[in-house]
Amino acid sequence: MKIIRQRKSEAIIPTASMADIAFLLIIFFMVTTVHDVDRTSINLPSAVTRQKNEQGSAMVVLWKQSDGELIYKFSDGKEQSSVVRGPGDIYLEASRLTFNNKDKQFVIKADHDIRYEKIDEIMDNLRKAGATNLLLLAHGKSEEKG
Amino acid sequence: MKLDRKSEAPEIPTASMADIAFLLIIFFMVTAVFSATKGLELKLPSDDEQEQREVEEEEAVFIHVYGDHLLVDCKPMEVADILPYLQPKLIRDAQKHVILYTDSEAKYGRMIEVYDELAKTKVAENPYPFTVKNISIPTQSEVQNFIEIFGSNPFETHCQE
Repeated sequence: MKIIRQRKSEAIIPTASMADIAFLLIIFFMVTTVHDVDRTSINLPSAVTRQKNEQGSAMVVLWKQSDGELIYKFSDGKEQSSVVRGPGDIYLEASRLTFNNKDKQFVIKADHDIRYEKIDEIMDNLRKAGATNLLLLAHGKSEEKG
Repeated sequence: MKLDRKSEAPEIPTASMADIAFLLIIFFMVTAVFSATKGLELKLPSDDEQEQREVEEEEAVFIHVYGDHLLVDCKPMEVADILPYLQPKLIRDAQKHVILYTDSEAKYGRMIEVYDELAKTKVAENPYPFTVKNISIPTQSEVQNFIEIFGSNPFETHCQE
């Protein structure tokens, strides 16, 4: 008996679920994306007992460059952070914010390697500006960069 | 002659949907920042609270961070030993102040390590039977004010007595 050879079917990559996968990825990125006010990559100190920062918190960034120079940045929580001259400018900016909102949260994002006196200077200026609510940004024990 | 009208079912054109979807994916992948948004909370005293905050030395536990070292009530200690040391003191007096004084030369990361250790008693999974409620972190200007009034740094002369 002659066996009839079935017609060869063409090789096709199944694309039926491609749109589902694509939209799944879109939803994932939409949910996880944070449009941050500061994107400076800093080696944050690590901590276990961390609290989430409040929405729209102001941010003070202390970033030590590779040549050892310290860069200060400030963001009011709405605009992207920009470089400021030093603690004096941070005092002025913070005073403006606390004048409108006494409970405004200030986040300090600083390199773990910085000498404490620089952080102390910032905390002192924030306190003088009327800030009472601080958050010292830290990554979890297993994370690396912030 | 009668013309046959072809009746086609109306369709939403989906040919470009995959392109749009991938364009959106690329946009979100490029703009996504998985940033750190968590940290340690710290309450700074307001100016009106400042006067009421005077704490007698005997009422407080002093933690002095200098370099990589640590003195707790003038005794050299490791970070992991702080809470067991505080336990009997804070069980006796739950309101006892803990003063965390960090030297100018010490690293910020070291101060956070000690502060994080104290904050472990404030979380829900606190393994200790007490909470460190009052943590004071004096700034250098507060210390300077003290020096102007009393003539010495209480945190440096404290252990020499």
